[in-house]
Amino acid sequence: MNVLKVPARTIAVFVLPCLIIYIGLVFVPIIVSIYDSLLDWDSINKAKFIGLDNFKTMFAHDANFWPAVRHTLMYAVFSMLEIPICLFVAALMNRYVKKANTLVSIYFVPVILSTVIIGQLWKTIYNPADMGGMLNGILNSLGLESWTRSWLTEPKIAMYCLYFVSLWQYFGYHLLIQFTGVQNIPQEVYEAAKIDGAEGFKSDWYITYPMAVPIFKISIVLAFIGSLQQFDLVWVMTGGGPAHATDTISTHMYNSSFLSLKYGYGSALATFLVFVCLVFTVVINSVFKKVEAKYS
Amino acid sequence: MVKKSTKTAAFALTAAALLMGATACGSNNANNTSDNANTGNTGTNAGGNAAAGGDKNVTITFQNIYPDPATPSYKMLHSIVDQYQKDHPNVKIELDSLNTDQQKLKLKTQAASKEVPDITIVNPAAQMKPFVDAKLFAPLNDMLDQNGLKDTFQKGLLDYYSFDNNIYALPDGNNIEVVYYNKDMFAQAGITATPTTYEEFLDDVKKIKAKGMTPIAIGEKDSWTGSFLFMNILLRTNGGPGFLQDVLDGKKTFKDPAFTDAVSAMQDLIQAKAFEEGATSIDYNTGGNLFKTGKAAMMIMGTWETGAIDSSTVGPKVGVFKFPTVNGKGDPDQFMLAPGSAFAVSANSKHLQETKDFLNYFMTEMPKKQFELKNAVGSGQIITGDFKAAGYSQLAQDVLALFQNVKGGDLAFDNTMKPAIAQAHLSSIQNMFVQKVDPAAVAAEHQSAFDSNK
Repeated sequence: MNVLKVPARTIAVFVLPCLIIYIGLVFVPIIVSIYDSLLDWDSINKAKFIGLDNFKTMFAHDANFWPAVRHTLMYAVFSMLEIPICLFVAALMNRYVKKANTLVSIYFVPVILSTVIIGQLWKTIYNPADMGGMLNGILNSLGLESWTRSWLTEPKIAMYCLYFVSLWQYFGYHLLIQFTGVQNIPQEVYEAAKIDGAEGFKSDWYITYPMAVPIFKISIVLAFIGSLQQFDLVWVMTGGGPAHATDTISTHMYNSSFLSLKYGYGSALATFLVFVCLVFTVVINSVFKKVEAKYS
Repeated sequence: MVKKSTKTAAFALTAAALLMGATACGSNNANNTSDNANTGNTGTNAGGNAAAGGDKNVTITFQNIYPDPATPSYKMLHSIVDQYQKDHPNVKIELDSLNTDQQKLKLKTQAASKEVPDITIVNPAAQMKPFVDAKLFAPLNDMLDQNGLKDTFQKGLLDYYSFDNNIYALPDGNNIEVVYYNKDMFAQAGITATPTTYEEFLDDVKKIKAKGMTPIAIGEKDSWTGSFLFMNILLRTNGGPGFLQDVLDGKKTFKDPAFTDAVSAMQDLIQAKAFEEGATSIDYNTGGNLFKTGKAAMMIMGTWETGAIDSSTVGPKVGVFKFPTVNGKGDPDQFMLAPGSAFAVSANSKHLQETKDFLNYFMTEMPKKQFELKNAVGSGQIITGDFKAAGYSQLAQDVLALFQNVKGGDLAFDNTMKPAIAQAHLSSIQNMFVQKVDPAAVAAEHQSAFDSNK
């Protein structure tokens, strides 16, 4: 730590401003939010302390809460399922494509678009055919009229349409991460394996995948956290509707705090979200610790 | 690893950080406000002291929400104020022009310290009640009787600004919900007369649908639009206004037949595919554009849309009619009302009488100015005159004609009920657009939201 032989006091002076900002913007709001979750408060009038009643309502009486949790977790599952595919494609590209970087850049394009643009774009794609919906238009011209539907407004399929857009949006992002990871595996390992007779998919299985585990983990954690906070895309495309059919925890939190003016209840939802994030991050990390230990 | 959990935490707390942001804004504003309020007072005091007999010098602070010089409202405000100051050299009107949101915040902080400006702006009904309860506003009954001001307002409109038989504020406008329709598309569907009953209305919807056109445009992603229409049906099935008030007063419940009938009627409309496909993913502007580009035959909306329709491509083809009766019930001259923000006078004003006199003049002049500025649609006062000669469009004239006979009506759901109940209502109505529902279940949903948020 003290390579530069700087006195501890000097280090403290330089670290302090950042630390204060960090504590002020991260830890204090957490505490405030947890406290607010114990209030019955509309953000205008006087707050009333009601203990854990908000959480009781949330778990037992709020018909929209558990569906929102399910949508959020499904979001996480789908985005995590995407990562192995990204890794597979990255390995293929590394082996077969000569100028792979160009291809990765192309895959990356959706990531640099703003979510609002992506949302509007896909909303138009999902539109009914007579409003210029591309997807339905294509189905019609393929003679698959019976498959056409109003994608974003049928409660049963609307959520899956949203998952898909997210997968599309973040495919390039995770591909880039995985590709970088795969590229960083030393060439000598493959050469040694070649001598031992391991080539192609065999070398993928025994070398690429195990050695990519640390990078794989980064993607998984990013995908998981990214899905838990999923708000903007849902908000732009469906607003959580029709009738809560596409609510995630974040949109439900927004609705409760800012539209229903139940600030305390919104804070309870936020607290729940923090808790879920922490628990799952710990779980994912400990799972990967075991996986890493197995392969190294 | 530490880094990652940090990220987790950082994200999760964005929500909480919002809270901090809100608080910070609030306190900033409080500072500004008290500064302003102080300067205002100094001015007033100085004016008062300088007065010696005869006409004393008076400064009236006029907080308003017309800061944009491009709008007719701004021009109206300034020309009336200038005229008044010319006629009364001893009166100085100090304008405090703010954006709507700024003004709301400023007034809240001023109210907390009882430093309300002489004239300020409030929203009707439930939203102004806290201020009235805090006795911040002066009753304006006596002032309304002067110069026949009271009779210039549309019937029933002042009720939304009245508490315990006292009128506390005078509205700057009022819009009503009407049915705009595309005359060409009606002709194509073979409809000769606009419907006056719900059965005829449904029939026309089916005729238009049969021609492969969208009967009604709606932007139901913004769920208040569906609710606004639903409330109009409820206004009819209830045989008149006041259903929600009766629920609030405990005289009725949502299980009342008036309510379930309204749900069934709304459902009939939705099941007849009256609205564009995928309506719940269409936002308000897009929905409006369907009508304004001739892709839908009707739009059921507030009269604030008149100007935008006038200037759209279908403008010259658009007509307007009153929402029909439902099951033979209701009075077509009762409308869903969207009463505007209103001028209130501070009870603690140092120059209460002068302020009232000025406001009386202001409100008497306002209709005339609005007429000249071609801003007569949506006025809360009855405006008469030769609109045709003044260059108003046919549609504007038709809409204005409807205003002449307004016999009261209801406010939107979210103006009457608590936000949490309103949210439950909005999503319940939105749900009807995507699946068939049992009216009794919708009623039960409303009732339980009402009971748990009393």
